[in-house]
Amino acid sequence: MFENILLGFATAFTPENLAYCFLGVFLGTFIGVLPGLGSLAAISMLLPLTFYLEPTTALIMLGGIYYGGEYGGSIASILLNLPGTPSAAVTCLDGNPMAKQGRAGVALFITAIASFVGGSVGIVALMGFGPSIARLGLGFSPADYFALMLLGLVAAVTVGGGSVIKGLIMVVLGLLLGTVGTDVTTGDFRYTFDFLELRDGVSLVAMAMGVFGVSEVISSISGSKTRKISEKVTARSMMPTREDLRRTFGPMARGSTIGGFLGALPGAGTVIAAFMAYATEIRIAKDKTRFGKGAIEGIAAPESANNAAAQTAFIPTLTIGIPGSATMSIMLGALMIHGISPGPLLISDHPTVFWGLIASFWIGNLFLLVLNIPLIGLWVRVLQFPYKYIYPVVIALICIGVFSMRTSVFDVSLVVIFGALGYLFQRTGYSPAPLILGFVLGPMLEENLRRAMLMARGDPIRLVSDPLTGSLLAISALMLVWAVLGGIRSLVAARRKDQVFPIGEG
Amino acid sequence: MKTISLRLVVAILLAGIGLTALVIASTYDIGSARRMGPGYFPVVLSAVLVLLAVAEGVSAFMKREPESTSSRIDWRPLLAILAAVAGFAVTIALFGLIPAFFVVIGLATLSEPRYGWKPAAILAIVTCIGAWLLFSQLLGMTLPLFRLGF
Repeated sequence: MFENILLGFATAFTPENLAYCFLGVFLGTFIGVLPGLGSLAAISMLLPLTFYLEPTTALIMLGGIYYGGEYGGSIASILLNLPGTPSAAVTCLDGNPMAKQGRAGVALFITAIASFVGGSVGIVALMGFGPSIARLGLGFSPADYFALMLLGLVAAVTVGGGSVIKGLIMVVLGLLLGTVGTDVTTGDFRYTFDFLELRDGVSLVAMAMGVFGVSEVISSISGSKTRKISEKVTARSMMPTREDLRRTFGPMARGSTIGGFLGALPGAGTVIAAFMAYATEIRIAKDKTRFGKGAIEGIAAPESANNAAAQTAFIPTLTIGIPGSATMSIMLGALMIHGISPGPLLISDHPTVFWGLIASFWIGNLFLLVLNIPLIGLWVRVLQFPYKYIYPVVIALICIGVFSMRTSVFDVSLVVIFGALGYLFQRTGYSPAPLILGFVLGPMLEENLRRAMLMARGDPIRLVSDPLTGSLLAISALMLVWAVLGGIRSLVAARRKDQVFPIGEG
Repeated sequence: MKTISLRLVVAILLAGIGLTALVIASTYDIGSARRMGPGYFPVVLSAVLVLLAVAEGVSAFMKREPESTSSRIDWRPLLAILAAVAGFAVTIALFGLIPAFFVVIGLATLSEPRYGWKPAAILAIVTCIGAWLLFSQLLGMTLPLFRLGF
């Protein structure tokens, strides 16, 4: 165990790797600060930059981009009350009031500290539980894998809130898009429409950039005129008082624990972790009225929770090969592009990659802390820069990023299609995250299902009668039924209200 | 019946995608439950997609919500940005990277009225220099800066 950790640090601590980690954190924060773009967009936009690097270095840089993106999102949400990422939405609740009271600097400082503490707790959990979960994963049959992935997809749709049916539509559309290309088992082409480029499947980056990047930019353009920051954030204003520090210890400890636990579960993810941590703080607080008016606990708890969760979300991604969130599925896609297939064998077959990655997570977190305290003034200036001058460049970078992935003009035209679709989906309340998750899991889901059915001789009863597979499938089914019943109930309630108070003639 | 809501339009679009996928998938070899062919998974998925989209369409039709501002389409930025990306694709294939940057930024700035060509030109020049530094100099990628290939 210890020699592994040492091996990891030895891998990560070369000057080259440190430099790329730094570059990753810097660029990731830069993109995360831009409104509407979070860590997911940061990873997909910067993925092509890592192509020319060694796999380990590339992953270290990607890890840095990921953290940078998350932290950049928090900066935007505190200063503008405009969450750059969904998980930063909770930070807005108390972060923005603090900024309005002229304490933006303290809020940003506590955010950085809480992120670091949460991240560190998550990393320790990842080191401790990762290998044992991988050993567990070795014993899984194809049927178990199928059931586990299905559970992940169902959980992503039902746990996050929002319309279940829209979430399911996105998952199924994602799975369907995942079938485009050459069928692994038979070599037949599916949905390629005689395009040579589609034989390798739809480009993940083109799709992610379309539904997340382009559509976000389009909707931010019309809302960009009202944005303004009046606060000045200097390094001096970041110093918290002794009282502030005393108040943050407990929330950080509780937040990290909650986040570390929830992050490892499929579908729960960072957003739920942040909300749960915030709710817990309100519940145990003596004076509940302080929340929402700039309580420092309201920043420390969710920020440490979402960073711990972001860390432990790597447990299922790396050790079983099943990502729990859209961002993780982009990470998984990035790993595969670099020739590493995450799964139970990753730790034993590529120990330098696994432990190097973990060590670099920690270094990335540390860099984030060191980098962002002196650079906070720079990020504030990036935020104050008129959006007018930012979005054309962002669009240009999306184009060049997608193009340079496979020097493919075809992929750039896919961005047009996915951008239009993504914008329509966004306007009508569809979340693009399940789409990406379904797309990445689709091919694995199909392959495992086919193998499982072959082993069960085509008899679904045999598949379900295995205790592990059966119970996983049962949990998925229960979650779906519960969610659908809830949806019907709210629909009925809405109809009844319509009848009592008729709104126009419709 | 005043206006067809955007939600219904999107549901119909999704049902259409599902139906098309189903028709195409039915030409593939379905196989059996034991030995699934390449068509099995797509057929099941597209059928489920059609069912879900129809259910969503029905619920959009029944539960009519007041049109909020968030469900309106801003045509100008939508078309300008999509045109910018498409323009980039065409220009980079024909003339190379630097003209493509000018096209993408020029078209993107049409999203807002009265943007002016001067800031657009400055942005394009800055982007070209930045991209050249980052991609060609720092990362050593080979990108076609200029070309005349038809």
